Parts: sequence; C-alpha cells; structure tokens
Amino acid sequence: MLVFDHVSKSFGDLRAVDDLSFEVEAGEVFGLLGPNGAGKTTAINMAVGLLEPDEGVVRFADEAFDRDPRDAENRRSLGLAPQSIALYEQIGGADNLRFFGRLHGLRGTDLEERVVACLDFADLTDVGKKVVSKYSGGMKRRLNLAVAIIHDPELVLLDEPTVGVDPQSRNAIFERVEQLRDAGKEVVYTTHYMEEAQRLCDRVAIIDRGRLMALDTVPALIEAHGGPGNLVVRTGDSESRHETTDPLGTLAELQARQAVDHFQYLPPDLETVFLNLTGRALRD
Amino acid sequence: MNKIVAMAAKDIHILFRDKLGFFFTVFFPLMMAIFFGAMFAGLSRGPANIPIALVDQDRTSASERFIERLGQASGLAVEQIPREEALEQVRRGRTAVMVTLTPGFGAALDNPFVTTPEVEMTVDPTQFAVAGMVRGVLLEAAGAELQDLMSDPARLGAANSQNSLFFESLPPSDARDQMLTFLDLSPRVSSLIDEMGLGAATGGNQGFGPPLEIEQTEVQAERPGPTNSYATSFAQAMLWTLIGGSVSFSMSIAIERSRGTLMRLLVAPITARHLLAAKGLACLGATLFTSTALITLGITVFDVRPTSYPLLALALLCGSICFCGIMMALSVIGGTEQAAAGIGWGLSLPLSMLGGGMVPLFLMPEWMQTLGNISPMKWTLMAYEGAIWRGFTLNEMLLPCAVLVAIGVLAFTLGARNLRWDTG
Repeated sequence: MLVFDHVSKSFGDLRAVDDLSFEVEAGEVFGLLGPNGAGKTTAINMAVGLLEPDEGVVRFADEAFDRDPRDAENRRSLGLAPQSIALYEQIGGADNLRFFGRLHGLRGTDLEERVVACLDFADLTDVGKKVVSKYSGGMKRRLNLAVAIIHDPELVLLDEPTVGVDPQSRNAIFERVEQLRDAGKEVVYTTHYMEEAQRLCDRVAIIDRGRLMALDTVPALIEAHGGPGNLVVRTGDSESRHETTDPLGTLAELQARQAVDHFQYLPPDLETVFLNLTGRALRD
Repeated sequence: MNKIVAMAAKDIHILFRDKLGFFFTVFFPLMMAIFFGAMFAGLSRGPANIPIALVDQDRTSASERFIERLGQASGLAVEQIPREEALEQVRRGRTAVMVTLTPGFGAALDNPFVTTPEVEMTVDPTQFAVAGMVRGVLLEAAGAELQDLMSDPARLGAANSQNSLFFESLPPSDARDQMLTFLDLSPRVSSLIDEMGLGAATGGNQGFGPPLEIEQTEVQAERPGPTNSYATSFAQAMLWTLIGGSVSFSMSIAIERSRGTLMRLLVAPITARHLLAAKGLACLGATLFTSTALITLGITVFDVRPTSYPLLALALLCGSICFCGIMMALSVIGGTEQAAAGIGWGLSLPLSMLGGGMVPLFLMPEWMQTLGNISPMKWTLMAYEGAIWRGFTLNEMLLPCAVLVAIGVLAFTLGARNLRWDTG
C-alpha cells in the first residue's frame, strides 16, 4: 500500500505539495488529477523516491519508505511509466524490456518469460525485435507502459500515459490498465483527460496548488461537487440552457409555458467537478 | 524590410541569450585568437625558443666561439650537455635536435679551405620542420664565421701559412704554384676589393663551397624506434579517439536526462554508484577498444613497430583511464547534450593545442610549453610515443602514466561528486 501521510515539499518559496495525505489500495486504480503546476509530478517523484519530502512520510507496504533514491530495496516493488517516452530508441523493444528487466534482477528464463509476457501485454510481439525508433507513437506508449511492469511490481505509477496517442492506442492502454487492476496491482494514474479518469479510476484525488481538494469515488465526487446538471431546450429557432437538479420538474415547467421541440439533459461530470474545485482561470 | 530586420534582431537576440551559442560565437574565437597570437608572437621574435642540445666533442677555442655565436643567434636556445644526456632528451621528446661538434671541428672552422667544418645533427623524426630551422641557423653561424675569417687578414694569413706549408710539401706542379700564389694573395683580397671601390658588393667567401657540412641522422639510428611516419600519426589518431570518446560519453548522461531514461534508471533498484560505474566502464571499454583497434591496424597494415608491447598496453590503459575521468567531469559541466558536446570540444581543442596535439610544442613560447603540462593530451602523447617509437623504459613511462591516472581519478571523482542526478 502506498501511503502519503501529511507530506509537504517546497522548492524555494514555492510550496509544490502541501500537507498531502492519501492511501492507495491493492487492486485499485487511483487517479491523481490537477491543473498544470498542481504538484502531481512532485508527488509522483516522492512516491518513487526521487524526491525527499520536507515534512511528512511517504510509505510503501506499511514500512517507512527509504527516501534515498540510491537505496534499491523498496524500488523493486514499484514501476514507473514516465510522461515522456523513456526508452532507448536505438535498440529493439524486446531489448529495452530485457535491459530494464536485468536492472531489476531478472535473469535467464524468468527474464525471457517476462519479456514475452510484456511484449504480449503491449501487443508488440510481432515487432519486438524492431528498433524502437521505427515504432509509431502509440507503440512507443505501450512499450513505455510495458517496461514499467517488466519486473511485475505491486505498485505501478502511470504519469499521463496517453499523451499524444490516437484513440485506438488510447483504448488499448485503457484495457492494459484495467488488466493491471484485475491482476491486483495498485495503479496511480495521473492525467489531464477527465473522461479517462472517469472511465478508469476507482477513486480520484483532485489536487491544486499542492493541496488535496477532494478525494473519493467518481460518483461521490460528482454528487458532492458536481452541482446542478444542464437542461438544454430548443423551441422553434431558439435554444436555452437551464441549470437544474430536477430535470423532469424543470422540463414540465417549461412545457407548461411553451411547447418544447427538443431537449437534452447534461448531468454533471468529473470535468464539472474539476472546474468547480480548481476554478476556470488559466494555469501556466 | 522592417520584417526582415525584426526577424534578424530576434535571431541575434536568441543567439546571445543562448550561453553556448555565445561561447562559440564570441568567447571561443577570442580564445583561439589569443592562443595563436601568443604562439606566433613567440615565432616573430625568432626561433629563440627552439631548444637544442649541443655536444662539444671538439673543445677548442674555435668550437667555443661557434657555440657562443649560436647562443647569440636568434632562433635557438642552446643547452650544452654531455652526449648521452642530449640523446636521451631527443628520445624523450624534450628537445627536437642534438647538435654535435665532432673533434676537428674547430680546426676546420679556422681553416675551411682544405676541410669543411662538419657537425652532426640528430633529430626527432616528428620535428623535421624544426630541424630545418636549426639547420638554417647553423649555416648562418658558419657563414658568419667564414666572413669574419675572410675579413681578418691576421687569421686568414695564419691559415694560409699553414696551408702553404702543406702545398709546398707536394711535388712541384703548375697547379701547386698557382695555389701558393692564391694563398699569398688571399689575405689581401679584402683590401684589393676595397681599393677597386666594390666594398660590400662582393662577398668575402665567394668562390667557396658551403661553409658547413651537416650530417643529419635520426635518433632512431642508434636505438630501435619508429619504422615510418605512421608511428607518430597513429599516436595522434589514438589521442583523438580518446578525445572523441570522452566527449561522446559525456553527452550520454545528458541524453539520458533529456530522454527520460535517467528517471527510469534512478527508479530502478540500482544505486548511483552503479550508474557511475557503468558509465565509467563503458567509456573505458570503448576508448580502450578503439585505441587498441587503431594501433592494431597501424601494426598490421602500416608497419608500425612498437618498441614495447607491455608498455603500449600500459599507455593505452592509462590514457583511457584519464579520458574516462575527463568524460565524467565534462558530464557535470554540460547539463544538456548540446552543452556537453560544445563544452567538451571547446575544452578539448585548446588543450590539444597546448599539449602538442596540433602544433609541435617546440614552436610554442616557453611559457606556453610549461602551460602545456596541464594538458592531459601532452602526457597521453608522451606515453603513446614512449611505447611506440621513443623506446621508453618502464621507469621513463611511469611519469606520464602516473600523471594520466592522477588526472583521470581526480576528474572522475570531481565529476561524480558534482553530477546532477535530477531528472528534469
């Protein structure tokens, strides 16, 4: 279990993470959402031991996490798929997997079995020997994910794993993440795409300016922070939008005044929650 | 037009905001100008900075006079030392030329009409251009000696008296009589020329052959050494292999950082020490392999014959250790791959110049030669050449090898301690 216990981290005057607390359970996809500069990457870096918290404790598997990144022991249990494609492009996909597998202590048949399994997981079996520079963006993304799980870790951290890929590859990545959950892994998933979080994440933490704004399941978040839905009504050539928590009642009221030709109800979603919690001002 | 000016101004602005671009646009050319200016300033004062080892086996007043004249000549720094020591200096590359005044040199100098004075010149085969300059200064000094003799009736008369006795001992003939008449007249040649009002229009030594015979040998004539010029060119090539390898590997850490693989490595269950060791080992292995491959090619195809294979192996290892350390130091200085490459080459080129990798050390001013001791390239070349053709002994090889290892360890330690492990 990954535990953030009142963790804070500053860079000079900037408080990147401020008193952040959460726990990630086994078999759960945990979404970490926030606007640019919210502190997501800092939190991920602390989770993998690249950064040391100024205050609080990051723990893994109920033991104090050794914050020194040179201390190898705790890192055997976690895998990271960075936001950028972190692969050696001059060598083949299988060789990338083999290299990182060796770094995690895999040898011989164990290593080869994992390489085969991960190529299959990423749907790259047929192109395993091909150099990565020849891969498409989607193939590289899938390999980036496969490398993170070559050593079969308990905790997998995926930092915006679908950036820059086409819908087919994105859907393939969703399926792989669901497979990881089904296999009992803890998955921490950061993204800017609300529909991804809504589809994949069992629970979502929304952070802004380093602070935890809300943490719950997606339906609970919508219930608590989504606000009213929108009833869109068309009458003749005019169209109007009405905020409402009772769409049928509102529709009846409108029908009583004037005949409604067409209507559509837009319920609140995770994006509404996100904007309600973090505001609509641009973040740089 | 305004648009063009605006775009040009933008590009110039960006250039000067880019520290690396600024370095190569302004600072590096300035550095080159200062380097070559300082070097050729030394040359413009004459080759006084060319050291020659002089061995006086004649030990006469005439040879001492000639040595004094050489010492005053612009172009040479004469050091009079015993023959064995002089030979060692040439062999070690500390001096380019050894000049030996053999017995009889002084007598011939005082009376060049019968025997032309001779000197032996032993040269470092890599320094033929310098040897040519020394040859010119020697001829100039001998010519000046001859001119002095011809314009000094007393010395000329003494020489002629000696020669007359010799010719008078020969059987009578017209040729002998004409020679005796010439010898009788020759002390008065200068005054007769003056009487005719020709003065300096004629040279005092006209009609004679060269004022000096120079017998040139290479230092290897007495000891085993290079078989051809490839022996020296391959040593240079091996040095450039090390430089190229160290710069390339210094970029690799920056590349790992920019492409995100450094983050993966740092998250893997390995320590920073593992990473450093791997980088060091890769650089050591690659430079060792390429330099070994080069010299193997030289040996098998170009007839390069190292004087000692064990010492060559030692030199190769020490050179690679040194540049492996330099690689780590360069990795620290250059945060990005462009910066690492730029700074790597920006430092390597002037250090190569200082170390004799481009211009022979003898052509540089003395202060610059001293400064060259800070250049690892100088010590690498010394070690390589010592094993390939200079015939170094183990004791002689210890100094350059120790310096190389010390530089390597120091640079690696400094680099490793200051290496940025952040991934951004």
